[in-house]
Amino acid sequence: MSAESPLVEFSGVSVVFGGQVRALDDVTLAIRKGEVMGLVGESGSGKSTLCRVLVGLTSPSSGTVSFGGQSVRDQLAREPLAFRRRAQMLLQDAVASLSPRMTIGRTLEEPIAIHKLPRAEAQERLADILRRLGLPPDVLAKFPHQISGGQARRIGVARALVMRPEMIVADEPTAGLDVSVQGDLLNLLLDLQREFGLTYLLVSHNLNVIRRVTERTAVMYLGQIVEEAATRELFQAPAHPYTAALLSTNPAVDPDKRQQPIVLQGEIPSAVNPPSGCRFHTRCPVAQERCANEPPALVELGTGRQVRCHFPFSLDPRRH
Amino acid sequence: MTPPLVSIRKLVLEVSTARGTARILRGIDLDIGRGRIAGVVGESGSGKSSLAACLLRLLPANLSRIDGEIVFDGTDLLALDDTAMNAYRGTRIAMIFQDPMTALNPLFTIGAHLIDVLRRRHPGLARKAGTARAIAALRSVGIADAPLRLSSYPHQLSGGMRQRVMIAMALLVEPDLLVADEPTTALDATVEAQIVALFTDLRRGFAGSIVFISHHLGLVAELCDDLCVMYGGTIVETGPVAEVLAQPRHPYTRALLACELDHDAAGDRLVSIPGEVPDPVAEHVACVFAPRCQHAADACRQSVPELRDAGPGRRAACLRWEELA
Repeated sequence: MSAESPLVEFSGVSVVFGGQVRALDDVTLAIRKGEVMGLVGESGSGKSTLCRVLVGLTSPSSGTVSFGGQSVRDQLAREPLAFRRRAQMLLQDAVASLSPRMTIGRTLEEPIAIHKLPRAEAQERLADILRRLGLPPDVLAKFPHQISGGQARRIGVARALVMRPEMIVADEPTAGLDVSVQGDLLNLLLDLQREFGLTYLLVSHNLNVIRRVTERTAVMYLGQIVEEAATRELFQAPAHPYTAALLSTNPAVDPDKRQQPIVLQGEIPSAVNPPSGCRFHTRCPVAQERCANEPPALVELGTGRQVRCHFPFSLDPRRH
Repeated sequence: MTPPLVSIRKLVLEVSTARGTARILRGIDLDIGRGRIAGVVGESGSGKSSLAACLLRLLPANLSRIDGEIVFDGTDLLALDDTAMNAYRGTRIAMIFQDPMTALNPLFTIGAHLIDVLRRRHPGLARKAGTARAIAALRSVGIADAPLRLSSYPHQLSGGMRQRVMIAMALLVEPDLLVADEPTTALDATVEAQIVALFTDLRRGFAGSIVFISHHLGLVAELCDDLCVMYGGTIVETGPVAEVLAQPRHPYTRALLACELDHDAAGDRLVSIPGEVPDPVAEHVACVFAPRCQHAADACRQSVPELRDAGPGRRAACLRWEELA
């Protein structure tokens, strides 16, 4: 596989639940190998569905997802376990994702048994990962209620890493963490990424986290990607009005960096009956007539930026 | 100078747990000025929500000790009997809770909630007048179709709308003190921005004081006049918000600010505060932050520092703030 071809490629992916709810609508997204891709959006925007599709837990209703140049559907049909080793998920609630009735050791050995990995080698690998994550060996004999929340998060990371995945999908890894410890977890994830050449999809509602740790960012609204760009460029000059509004709502401690928030009217409409035309037009401060009638396509704008808007850059947060 | 609306002195709150007595609040001294918005920030376990609940004397069931004073407009709330205390709740002191779904009764309409609150504040209010005021209250918090919404049930409203209803209920009371415990934490970013804008608008027409509890420094920086930083059941620093954040006196405040990621420093290691939060069961014999403080000296480990003057209107519980400033 050449350095140019992406590790993960969504093309025109839609997921429809119950014939009505379009959780994902025509999602096209490429994640390059070794990249940290951020994903932002409000509840109901389809972030979690996108993650589930990526790791093969939800199948697309239409469109294709490829991983390492091959279709995920084919890989799952042919060798499901082999595919599941390639992409691992870090779950949001680390404590709840550990079975209360299993010791940490059993929890960590379970994937080794399921995937029938050579036992001695896997054990060695596990011991190495635990050391690297700063977990004491006696943690293996403990039950989830006997370890701290921080340790539980590290166990979640260890469980994902023991499979030697190429990709980690982290759904809100810092949600519920105090600011004094979130830096630790993110540093750890970034160290591992460099060391093992991992590719990350990192979902977070914390825009400061996205800004600091990701290279590219995709913004979702009502099941669609409305903008995707290099993180630095996205934060400097958001092209989509929704991105501009979302970024402007991030309150800054430093008064010099504070911007006038663009307060949107209303809330995210229902995905069962989404607005006509551009899905954002009902709340968009700069919507025009065309926006209500004609759905905009996701178009390439300059280098490596995709935007789904008829009038990109029309909402400038600094002039607002 | 007019006396503050609320003066909290040496407030101690302890609860009994399986591991022993947990010290939730360890001697809080705090004044809340009239017409001011006081932001209380701290991490989980710092005692900020317990402090909020104490202002309404909503005490935990496993309470083992409460001591000190909460003087509200001249009356010590802790000295009142239950009936007398009850007369303050929902009249002179109101609260907005974090989760607007569980704070509204699913069996009653929005109108029933609002009129209930009004009747408590103004017994004998005529139905018609009550309805009119309820509609006006919904409009003032930006709810469209207010008359229609009166007959809606909580589950028929979105999260942002429910929080607006909670705010409308609190404002109908016209309280002297409004306690808001993380009122935007459960909301999405663009809806949170709406509620923050609403708070900013409302304060023009609201004469009372607000205590705004949050773990979000940026939000408090934008919205509040005064800041109170809590750690391990104590107050480590108070003062006008802009000054505290521009020139923090306490090393914990400084460390918290350093952990904020709202600056562009791509490539740098992210900052965290090494160590763990203090154990609520342990007794304090030293500065509560000393085990995690990079400036801790021997003296810091020998006695509990007092919250003392640290410039005009400012106080910090650090022995060394002058040296470190």
